[in-house]
Amino acid sequence: MKSLIGWGVKPVDSHVNEKNDKAWTFKQKLFLGLTPGQYLGQALRNPFNWILGIIFAVGLPLIAYRYFFGLGAVTHASNDYPWGLFLGFGLFVMVPLSASGFMLGTTVEIFGRHDFEPIERLALLNGLLGYFFAVVYLLIDLGQPWRLPYPMFVSFGPAAVLFLVAWHVATYLSVQVAEVSVSFFEWIGWLGGKRFIRRIAIGLTVSGIILSTLHQGALGALFNYAPGKVHPLWYSPFQWIHFFCSSIPAGLCMVIVVSTIVKKTMAWRCDSNFSDNLDRCTLGLAKGASLALITYLVIKLIGIAHDNEWGYLATGWGAWFLLEMAVGVVLPIILFAYAIRHQVVKVARLGAMITVLGIALNRLNTALIAFNWQLYQEIPHIFEVIIAVTIFAIYIVVYRFILYRLPILYSWKAQPEEALAAEAVRPAPIRTTPSPAGAMYRKID
Amino acid sequence: MSGISRRRFLAASVAGCAATTLAGPRKALASGTFSGYPDGMGVLVDLTRCVGCRSCEAACNKEQKLPAPDRPFDDMSVFDETFHDGKQKRRPDENAYTVVNRYNPEGGAPVYRKVQCNHCNEPACLSSCFVNAYTKTEEGAVVYNSKVCVGCRTCMVACPFHVPAYSYSSSLDPVIKKCIFCYDTRLKNGLPPACVDICPQEALTFGKRKDLIKIGHQRIETHPGRYVARLYGEKELGGTSWMYLAPVAFDQVGFDPTPGNEPIINNVKDFLGTVPMVLAIWPAMFTGFHLLAKKQKGHDDHEHDAEQQQGEDGGEQ
Amino acid sequence: MSAKQTLTTLIMALALIAVGTIAAAGDVPEQVSLDTMAKLFNGVEFDHAMHTDLGEDCSACHHHTTGTGTSNERCMGCHAGSDEATTVRCSGCHVAEPFSAKHINRDASNRYQFHIDMPGLKAAYHWNCVGCHEQMDGPTGCQDCHTRTTAGDDFYQINVVHAEAAGRGGH
Repeated sequence: MKSLIGWGVKPVDSHVNEKNDKAWTFKQKLFLGLTPGQYLGQALRNPFNWILGIIFAVGLPLIAYRYFFGLGAVTHASNDYPWGLFLGFGLFVMVPLSASGFMLGTTVEIFGRHDFEPIERLALLNGLLGYFFAVVYLLIDLGQPWRLPYPMFVSFGPAAVLFLVAWHVATYLSVQVAEVSVSFFEWIGWLGGKRFIRRIAIGLTVSGIILSTLHQGALGALFNYAPGKVHPLWYSPFQWIHFFCSSIPAGLCMVIVVSTIVKKTMAWRCDSNFSDNLDRCTLGLAKGASLALITYLVIKLIGIAHDNEWGYLATGWGAWFLLEMAVGVVLPIILFAYAIRHQVVKVARLGAMITVLGIALNRLNTALIAFNWQLYQEIPHIFEVIIAVTIFAIYIVVYRFILYRLPILYSWKAQPEEALAAEAVRPAPIRTTPSPAGAMYRKID
Repeated sequence: MSGISRRRFLAASVAGCAATTLAGPRKALASGTFSGYPDGMGVLVDLTRCVGCRSCEAACNKEQKLPAPDRPFDDMSVFDETFHDGKQKRRPDENAYTVVNRYNPEGGAPVYRKVQCNHCNEPACLSSCFVNAYTKTEEGAVVYNSKVCVGCRTCMVACPFHVPAYSYSSSLDPVIKKCIFCYDTRLKNGLPPACVDICPQEALTFGKRKDLIKIGHQRIETHPGRYVARLYGEKELGGTSWMYLAPVAFDQVGFDPTPGNEPIINNVKDFLGTVPMVLAIWPAMFTGFHLLAKKQKGHDDHEHDAEQQQGEDGGEQ
Repeated sequence: MSAKQTLTTLIMALALIAVGTIAAAGDVPEQVSLDTMAKLFNGVEFDHAMHTDLGEDCSACHHHTTGTGTSNERCMGCHAGSDEATTVRCSGCHVAEPFSAKHINRDASNRYQFHIDMPGLKAAYHWNCVGCHEQMDGPTGCQDCHTRTTAGDDFYQINVVHAEAAGRGGH
């Protein structure tokens, strides 16, 4: 892509092709305004695509294999370890890393911190995709994925924590689809849809907060069903608070990590509004994340004190726990503190990356490693690992596909005539026509 | 609470309230406990009587029409089988709803322990199932409806006794498999389960749970030195329909010695209780924050505030 | 006394003797057929005479019911001076189906405090026989006393070929 831009190719960022003043067709938009040949060329030149290709070549047949021969054929998930990597990573790691959507939604829409707007859409998309792929992992892991709608429509177990998770993830997914659809509506040029979503934005955001609080917590509460199985250091009667609290830095740091990758690999797609504000936003997010991490650390310490688990710290499990805390929580706090004090964005990015890994480790510890600590350790099947990696690769591809096209990293350039036309055909406006000044305020509009 | 199951009642109340909120009525569950149906049946497993003949395994296999075993049921070499570097003995699985394991307590004769579903009064599997597949019947059995099982396997995570198993090998119809107290074929008709029927030693005593508690304590009293003074399952985890007497400390024969007396569901009640609060408080709180945040902005620039409002609430180009 | 009356008396007397003889024979049978598990195991022809010859007190097996007293401390409280019971057969007290609804729900007022936990017939046999055999070095293997029937072989699935199938038991 970089080389194409070097040759003067400009990817689609508005409805009208500047070269011939004709509106882009849907197909042209899909190809970013490139010819299919150009598009294929840039795709083949990208070595990362070759890596993805190899992963898919191995992983996709394995996914088919799983559906033909059952879970037993591809996993070590056993009667003692019912949940393997698909849930341990796919659900319990992906969901906290996707807390970004509601965090930035709250920051921008509720607290009115419009200085974070340049990164808001990326955070929303990160949330949506993370949840969506958590569900994809779930579809791999469920014994009978075709029965996924059962808790919604067929047989209700409302007293179960998982019932809450199912309902809230489903509802929150739709909320997030709505939130992200603003970009989509801009891209396809349907302003009515965009207007409607903007109108209910506050409602969407608030429901996003509620649903996130509840199901991030609910994922933690799921482990309250197994008080004797999860190691006491990773178990708390207030597990839901631990999970909810740690999802905040996880979500924020995931946005920092993704934006860092995007800035490096997709600079052509980022406009100045994104690139110029990214460093400032990153430090802002880092500030939020470090506060959340400190809170999380305190909660963890209180958790140990509350259940008087100091003795466990002297064991091997204790060392592992302390390592998780030291590397996954304390180190990022120090890095963030340094980064914020000295305004060094790079350090903040490093801290964010470590935080993401740290929270991921916490979830894996809770769900797999410190689970059944009194029994034996289950090692995931190699096929299980490959399938998990494959789904993650699909996640990356979809993520990239959307970032390439929808106005997430860049602002959609609306044509003045088109905007006027849109106003003209607007049926019976419910609200007064906004003043041009109002529109100017919102950079993205 | 006799005719209508607590779950059903809750489900009905939830259905009634579902229109109002998504999760509000879940609070209802957070109150009260359930200590079993008054005339629920149970089994008293007396480990001092079991001789490890494995007849119960054979009877279970036949009654539940399970696949043929790997070894004959009179093959006692299975007691030497261990798994995961000797850390695990046999456990119930999709092909065997009950197994007998041999333990060699320090300095004593071998003790045989039969493992199967203990049919809790407040089953963890039941309370963790999001499709309500499980039912605690009036007769005391914990049964399940495979037709709605999605295969999330939360019940397996939740079960403190490691009982429910999953048919991982099936690709089209994998479901949870566990002992159902022979509910369909026997218990429902007033008959004891097949394992109890076949036991030559009456190591398994079938009866009303409340009677078995008396009998259990009576055995401890009348045979001093024969038993440790504990009727496992009388109170553990809210009480179980199947209870155990053992000649040695329970941790020596594979039991969790300290499971606590609270049913598993009590561990999630706190969280379930906060759900309606979050639902009720969050919208007001965050809308409030939103208004505060906007007020602050408008403080220095009223003109701008009005414009911003429009920009936010649906302003277009 | 008419001839007819004499004849009747004679017949009655004969009948009484006959009944008495049978009753006496029933009191101490030579052989007892034990077939509570007849479906899976061939019945046991218990050599009662041989076991009585071992010289043990009747109460070793029959508790207090034979009127010979009992040595069990827990029984002596009530049964130290008990007479012979109306029935001495094991099945007279130890029911064949101890877990039938009828037996479980039997009138509680008729249950003696120490008899609520009485084993069924099958358990009574096994406890009594195996317990003593272990002490006296008698046979204790299942098929030492009762050989398995074909149905029993099927029940225990003795013909399955042992395969080191993975994922059984431990998983």
